[in-house]
Amino acid sequence: MMLQIKDLKVSFGKAEILRGINLGLEIGDSISIVGESGAGKTTLGLSIMGLVKGSHSGEVRFRGKDLLTIPEEDLRGLRGKEIAMVFQNVEDALDPVQRAQDQVAEAIRIHQRIGAKGAEAAAKKILMSVGLKGDKARAYPHQLSGGERQRVIIAMALANDPALLILDEPTASLDALTKADILRLFRSVIVGRISLVITHDIALASALTEQMAVLYAGEIVEMGRTDEMLREPRHPYTRGLIRSYPGMTTTKDLQSIPGRMVHGLRGCPFHERCTQRIEICQREMPPLREIGGRQVACHRGGIVPLLDVRDLCKSFDSCDVLRDINLTLYEGETLALVGESGSGKSTLSKLIMGLYEPDSGDVVLEQQKVLKRDISFYSRVQMIFQNPKESVSHRMNVLDAVLEPLVVQKKGTREERLIRAKEVLDHVELPSDDEFLQRYPHQLSGGEVQRVAIARALALGPKLLIADEPTSALDPSVQAKILKLLMGLQDKMGLAMLFVTHDISLARKVSDRMAVMHKGRIVETGATNEVLSNPEHPYTRKLVQCASGEPEKMDDRKMPDREISKATENIEINLGEGIRCRESNF
Amino acid sequence: MHIDPLRDGFSNRFALMALSILLAIILMAILAPVLTRFPPDYYTGQIFSPPSYSHPLGTDSMGQDIWSRLLFGARTTLFVAASVTLISTLLSFLVGASAALIGGLYESFWMRIVDAMSSVPPMIVMILLAAYLRPNLLVMVLLLSFLSWPIGARIIRSQVLSLKERGHVYASRTFGASWWHILKSHIAPELGPLLTAIMIQDARRAVFMEAAMGFLGVSDPMVISWGKMMQQALAFTYLNVWEWWLLPTGFALSLTLVSLSFLGLSLETAMDPRLRKDELGAE
Repeated sequence: MMLQIKDLKVSFGKAEILRGINLGLEIGDSISIVGESGAGKTTLGLSIMGLVKGSHSGEVRFRGKDLLTIPEEDLRGLRGKEIAMVFQNVEDALDPVQRAQDQVAEAIRIHQRIGAKGAEAAAKKILMSVGLKGDKARAYPHQLSGGERQRVIIAMALANDPALLILDEPTASLDALTKADILRLFRSVIVGRISLVITHDIALASALTEQMAVLYAGEIVEMGRTDEMLREPRHPYTRGLIRSYPGMTTTKDLQSIPGRMVHGLRGCPFHERCTQRIEICQREMPPLREIGGRQVACHRGGIVPLLDVRDLCKSFDSCDVLRDINLTLYEGETLALVGESGSGKSTLSKLIMGLYEPDSGDVVLEQQKVLKRDISFYSRVQMIFQNPKESVSHRMNVLDAVLEPLVVQKKGTREERLIRAKEVLDHVELPSDDEFLQRYPHQLSGGEVQRVAIARALALGPKLLIADEPTSALDPSVQAKILKLLMGLQDKMGLAMLFVTHDISLARKVSDRMAVMHKGRIVETGATNEVLSNPEHPYTRKLVQCASGEPEKMDDRKMPDREISKATENIEINLGEGIRCRESNF
Repeated sequence: MHIDPLRDGFSNRFALMALSILLAIILMAILAPVLTRFPPDYYTGQIFSPPSYSHPLGTDSMGQDIWSRLLFGARTTLFVAASVTLISTLLSFLVGASAALIGGLYESFWMRIVDAMSSVPPMIVMILLAAYLRPNLLVMVLLLSFLSWPIGARIIRSQVLSLKERGHVYASRTFGASWWHILKSHIAPELGPLLTAIMIQDARRAVFMEAAMGFLGVSDPMVISWGKMMQQALAFTYLNVWEWWLLPTGFALSLTLVSLSFLGLSLETAMDPRLRKDELGAE
């Protein structure tokens, strides 16, 4: 290995900034290191440069030499020659009283026996190659724009044709257009080197590097191919990062990761913010293990599948309502079930809930087949119904309604139940004073009753929430509030949600993945943005077009309903042969 | 929508009137020993005496005080009505609700029985049975209860069938609630008004049947009953004794039946949204 990092640990005083990094890179490898600020990304870069202060242990071997132990002179010989770094602050890295080409020439002369003239010529050539020529090359830094200064810095880093290039937030302060230019430049310069891109910009990482490592509190929690990781993150933190990043392809509203990063935590560094933690996570640090072509550091092997629906069939009076339904829902994600009324969406959710009996097929919850719907099942899976005024008995006041699940499951004492009821009312942003607790549904607005219904569903602390058209009985502004609430709860509690709706534009805003139902079949599933931007099944196309308000654009002659139905019928055959199924590899 | 049919039903004018009449009859039955000086079977020494101060409704062919017999007759009527109502409604509820909730073969079994029993006219069955059994009061109550539960059971079953499809019942099931919890917390409270209506109907039917049995002379001869009093009085219509014997008795019986009918009617009106005059309830 050209660059081999072994168990690198760095700490400043008591704060452990890096907690055992292992990384091996060859010429031609490009990797991005992503994570929140403070995760230790820059420290990692500096360690490789041999610039790290603070106590450290482990090895950083470059061409066999340990950069942490070799003498300072040898290090200087490597730095800027073999290893170069583009620093994150464009303003400070340049000497304001020197011309651009002089600064580049200086970088060359430090490492090469070359005359002043030769160095100047070489510097000009390099500046030319990064897109600065003539007058610009002779300009002082203050005469250059941010993008141009960035080019100068890149030229300095490239001056001695380094084998290892470290880019630390290289585009952080640039506008989108300049960024695009610089990005193009980077793409050409990283060829034939080892490049390490330190960034919190996921778009940059995906555009620039083949591999990606997610750093959290000084540890790599997930590492693998960039495109695969972005499409299906396996570590909950990776997913959180992607969800909080405003990309042009993501359709779901931004979601934050609850809590904040704490260094030096015992056990898994992420466990305090993780919604799927188990007991072992607090005790032991999970090793980075290979799981399905990806390295993930998680005791649970990454994001766990919460609900599996396998080959579920249901018919009412010999009329097939659901046929061979297969679904997987992961911890903390939202799966939207989309389709017109009568496509079997509600039936499916009621089947999962055990309100109907399936004809065949299984429901698997947390890797265990659900044989009977008992109290333990219902404390993990809860449902919110379409019409709140129907689902909350008009004879129960707010308190009675929220207490009901606790009473049914005989949870806690009377006082504990009361405390829990007030707590969940708090979660759904409702008052919990006595006056409010005594109100009856008809004294509340539709939105408030739906909040009561949500609070009631949360009282048992479920992991999975099935929301059957939870907002279709509400007006748009109330709907928006309820959806925000649901997504906030998802952040906070890691709730997985099966969001049943006929409104594809609503599904677009709330879901990570989408399953489209037509005539009792799932005709297409996949990441929401992919399904919407490139719908494969004609029925999905139709739904998307109708939702975009462009039904007139639809060429009905080309794809009459008959054809759509035919396509749906064919799904079965194709699924059986495994030829075409967009069922994501999630 | 929060409607309290019971309150609405009992608060209209007809219902209030009917309620006060019923209350008066109940009071008369309870206070019977205070309201009259003569025990109902006491031989006063004079027969067919017209109303006087000591005998407000005179005496009958046996020389017994008619007013006393009327008061004590009310006791019989009300006792039969109350017992039959309780037993029959309980049977209706148990069979109707369990059939709806359990469903399947169990439901079919009970509903076929209900069909069978409804197809037989209860009056004829009653006459036949009574004629052979000569029932005392208790047997009479049981017979009447046995004959009148199917109608209520059918009504309750259909109501429970619709109630169990309600959102809040589904919601309750998703907490893992047992059928017993659902019956207790979600279905029984909703059935309240309906049960009351069924009880009133049962009571009315029981009063009528008891009187009819007495009138036909197939009930226990020792029991003082309005129906029997009317039958006895009818034998003496050639005398003017019917004015204070037949008339007041018939009037008391009619009043009881009419009050129960009015009560049932106004409850029914309150429960059926289509019959409600004011659209948005009384809240």
